[in-house]
Amino acid sequence: MRDTSGKVVITGMGAVSPFGAGVEALWNGLAAGTGCMHTVPELEALPMVKTKVAATVPEMDFSYIPRQARRSMSRMAFYAYAAAQEALRQAGYTTPPDGLGFFMGSTLNSISVWLKITAQCQANHLELIKTSDFLQIMNHSPLATVAQALKINGPSVGAAGACATGLMNLGLGYMAVKSGWLKQALCGGTEEYHPMFSACFDVMQATSYNFNDAPSQACRPFDKDRTGLVASEGCGLLFLEREEDARARGAVILGEIIGFASNTDTENIAYPSAATLQACMQAALDDAHLQPRQVDVLNAHATGTLIGDIAESRAAYQVFGPHIRTNSLKGALGHSMGASGALETIACVQMLQKQFLLPTQNLHEPDERCGALDYITSGTAGKADIILKNSFAIGGNNCSLLLRRVP
Amino acid sequence: MITKEEIIQKTNEALKKEFELTDAQLVPTARLKDDLGLDSLDAVDMIVVLEQQFGVVLRQGYDMRSMVTLNDLYNFIEHLAQEHKA
Repeated sequence: MRDTSGKVVITGMGAVSPFGAGVEALWNGLAAGTGCMHTVPELEALPMVKTKVAATVPEMDFSYIPRQARRSMSRMAFYAYAAAQEALRQAGYTTPPDGLGFFMGSTLNSISVWLKITAQCQANHLELIKTSDFLQIMNHSPLATVAQALKINGPSVGAAGACATGLMNLGLGYMAVKSGWLKQALCGGTEEYHPMFSACFDVMQATSYNFNDAPSQACRPFDKDRTGLVASEGCGLLFLEREEDARARGAVILGEIIGFASNTDTENIAYPSAATLQACMQAALDDAHLQPRQVDVLNAHATGTLIGDIAESRAAYQVFGPHIRTNSLKGALGHSMGASGALETIACVQMLQKQFLLPTQNLHEPDERCGALDYITSGTAGKADIILKNSFAIGGNNCSLLLRRVP
Repeated sequence: MITKEEIIQKTNEALKKEFELTDAQLVPTARLKDDLGLDSLDAVDMIVVLEQQFGVVLRQGYDMRSMVTLNDLYNFIEHLAQEHKA
């Protein structure tokens, strides 16, 4: 019989974000609140597409990755390789421990590689497709290629749930370690931006378009002047293990995961219902045996869309009432889609460690339809022990994760 | 008809770019696997790359196991070129 009584802790974190490589760069960028959003020439050339802004990872040299690993990797796998190395290093490993589980996915695979292959297909030159190109567009390509490159030899199981992917994989890793199925797991999500993302969200009337001339102000979660999201990219990975194992090997414990829940909104594939989001948050609280009043901060999914922000804030109000301190990191980071849940969880762990609550960038005047939550609009030093992190996806996939500070 | 020197030059150019090799490594006696570090996946990608470079089908007569050195590869392409001409 497996022992399920142990606590699951975080001992390593790795990030690649529009603020650069590393967890420190992520925190510094989020704290500064500006600097990673920019106009996109491909979008500027499309009059029908209203949004012109995105947040992309700065140009990086990944030639340090051995060629025979790199040849099968798309850009999102490069991000994952760097993030995995950072998380492993912080967890105290130069090489992955034997049996390490790997839970990582993405919304789509590399669009740029797909387009290259599609061009060959359309030209009736299927014979020109290289094996290494094919390996870059497999559904689990980043998971497989990073596992191969770093020799991660436990189960590699990638869940794909669009914008909830990162948190979904963290939840799966949490359950795998909590249940005793695995001793350790590396979990999160990765994504690479292509203008297609912005164009598709634009058609759905879910993009930011009224601050194209001031990109750093473009994403405005809960703000009355918001019109939608700003797409971004990156990778976040967290190393999970049992608390007793971490302490036994002298690892530094960064935080604890104490609950997780996921449900599916079957009312509509694209428009979230407050009732289902509320049920998801409540289920996470139940999983952690917590009362709503015990949660200090809600780190919202809040992408800055008209409908999504209203639904989430109303759901949060129903669960927590008006006094829950609430922030969204997408005002500064943009929506890194499959990576967002993991990147933002990393920032949540840092908020708990530093006892500093990051602001919702560009939230100046809350939309009155977004309820009366206690929105954090400027960086604030403050006591916080428990954060609830949300990620919700097109497709109706909802996830909520509870984090606890470990003093 | 393409000369042997042209085959060597075009082959080396493609291999340098695809597999990040240097001129110094690309000597005729270099063993594809042991000296240039090309594994089985590289070997199949190499044929696709060389077919694009030369504009001819190489894969049908290609036996990976018989291709030990770079010179074996040059000779294989030269042989195909002669056949093509005939």
